[in-house]
Amino acid sequence: MKLLSKYTLVNLFVSLGIFVIGGIIYFKAISYLSDQQLDRDLTEEYAEKVSFIDQHQRLPKPFEFDTYEAKFRDIGQYTEPIRFLDTIVSTNSGDKIISCRAIKGTVRFKGRNYEMTVTASTEATQSVVKLVSTITIALVILLFIALLVVNRIVFKSIWAPFYKLLEHLKDFSLAKSPSQPPVDPMKIVEFKELSHAIELMEERARDEYQSLKSFTENASHEMTTPVAVINSNLDNLIQDESLTKSQLEQLEGIYSASRRLSHLNQSLLLLVKIDNGLIHDLAEVDLANCVKVKIKQFGELLQDKNVKISLNLLPKTIKASNYLVDILITNLLSNAIRHNYYDGEIAIVLDETMLLIENTGKSETLDNHRIFERFQKEPSSEGTGLGLTIAKNICLSYGFKLEYQFAPPYHRFYILF
Amino acid sequence: MKLLIIEDELILAKSINTYLASEGNICEIAADVHSAIDKLSLYEYDAIVLDIGLPDGTGLEILNYLKSSRNDGGVIIISARNALDDRLTALNLGADDYLVKPFHLAELKARIMAIYRRRNFQGQNLLDYEQITVDLDKKEVNIEGKPLVLTKKEFDMLLYFIANKDKVISHNALVDHLWRDEVIWGESFDFLYTHIKNLRKKLTDATGKDYFSSVYGIGYKFN
Repeated sequence: MKLLSKYTLVNLFVSLGIFVIGGIIYFKAISYLSDQQLDRDLTEEYAEKVSFIDQHQRLPKPFEFDTYEAKFRDIGQYTEPIRFLDTIVSTNSGDKIISCRAIKGTVRFKGRNYEMTVTASTEATQSVVKLVSTITIALVILLFIALLVVNRIVFKSIWAPFYKLLEHLKDFSLAKSPSQPPVDPMKIVEFKELSHAIELMEERARDEYQSLKSFTENASHEMTTPVAVINSNLDNLIQDESLTKSQLEQLEGIYSASRRLSHLNQSLLLLVKIDNGLIHDLAEVDLANCVKVKIKQFGELLQDKNVKISLNLLPKTIKASNYLVDILITNLLSNAIRHNYYDGEIAIVLDETMLLIENTGKSETLDNHRIFERFQKEPSSEGTGLGLTIAKNICLSYGFKLEYQFAPPYHRFYILF
Repeated sequence: MKLLIIEDELILAKSINTYLASEGNICEIAADVHSAIDKLSLYEYDAIVLDIGLPDGTGLEILNYLKSSRNDGGVIIISARNALDDRLTALNLGADDYLVKPFHLAELKARIMAIYRRRNFQGQNLLDYEQITVDLDKKEVNIEGKPLVLTKKEFDMLLYFIANKDKVISHNALVDHLWRDEVIWGESFDFLYTHIKNLRKKLTDATGKDYFSSVYGIGYKFN
């Protein structure tokens, strides 16, 4: 739930509760006050009527008192105390029932007791109460609307810096060039502190990342010189004509180890560069052409394994680094050849939405998650175990997806643009 | 040919020296910017092998010095850094070539020879080796005047072998040279053998002499 909705909802419930309770109290109070007023009037009337009866020793005629109607009932010797009550009476015409307030009491004349009921219509007061209630409810609704609108406007402007900070955080990437977190123009202390905290956090993250990055880079660079020393010494050593077969075999072993070390090193450096977005020579890359060039380059290797290759390439260009696309296709294609068997097949399909490279190979599926992880490789494979990670990271850096599927007998790697 | 190797890693410098110092080549070694500039101010060199990272500065300072002193020598950079920017900076400052560490000495020699040829030959750019004449501009090979048709890979390989004549070239160095980026690492060298075999056969057929001798398990020698 959004902060604004949550806040407005709480606000609404609380105000609704207060208004309901307040309304009830208000209603009761008005009713009470109007009843009081009516009761006072009735009491006066009652007293007037009693004194009239005392004076004239007869019951008054209806027209002699124009305000309130009085009714009399002979109750013999029975007396009743004076009391007030709410009642209803039907009008003279009898078609309408109206609610009334009444006072009942006993009057005595000519040796007999009469129950006198003086009634007053409460219609008037009730309509006042109704009117007041309507106005109140209208006001409440108006207030709610005003509250919602004001909340929304005020909320938006007060919390604007917060949302800006949120956007800033969402946008945060260690690889991007640093930008200052936005500062609250309204100078609300909490937001200022938040902005400051974010700035510090980003700085720290960036520092640590930077040192990690330069560590990886420096470590890789520092490794190249010893490997160069090994290589060059080997190059000189093999010039010696007195070397025996077994010595030459051992030297070949050292050669290939140093070669792998060097490739591992290059791959790690490349990964660091891709992950940090350090390769940004963006250009329009013609993928179909890239694939064709690569296949030509791999010609000997394909021939060597007698792998049949079928192409179905539609024109497709992407905005990417030529260098990285080259590596991407090299890695996928070299895997397709390397893990193929003799007389196997490779099919490459390119269209608007994807590039698919499928090859025959081992008859069991590969672990979909593990193959893209660093240093995950078959024990028999002499690769670095970084090829697919590099391919995946190149795809990720351009917002593409690299996925694997086993559709016997084909291992499918496809890039979704 | 007179060469200056500017490299602070002494073992590497010596190793380069050992490989290059033959056929009357003279090599000198400088381990830092200071001594390198001392040497450059006193002597003329045909080619300079320059490391970018030096203890008292960078190889770029030396490039600047060479530019201002109008030194004739060709410069090949050997650097641990493979960034495009570094490469472009060095080439813009007048370096002739850029080789990333680790490299094979055969590759270094082939490139030095190429730079040297580019700088010292006017007119027809021909390379002779016994009966073999290579026209580097037209990318053609003639055996005693008769053209020999080679594939691109075979042509590259022949040049590489001639540049490193009398040296054993390892399979690794050959594969690195011919396939550079697209090579499948750790794969057997079967596809290399096919190319060598073809080149060897063509040359033997045309010249009547087998220039290649294979060194067990490790590589080939051209002489």
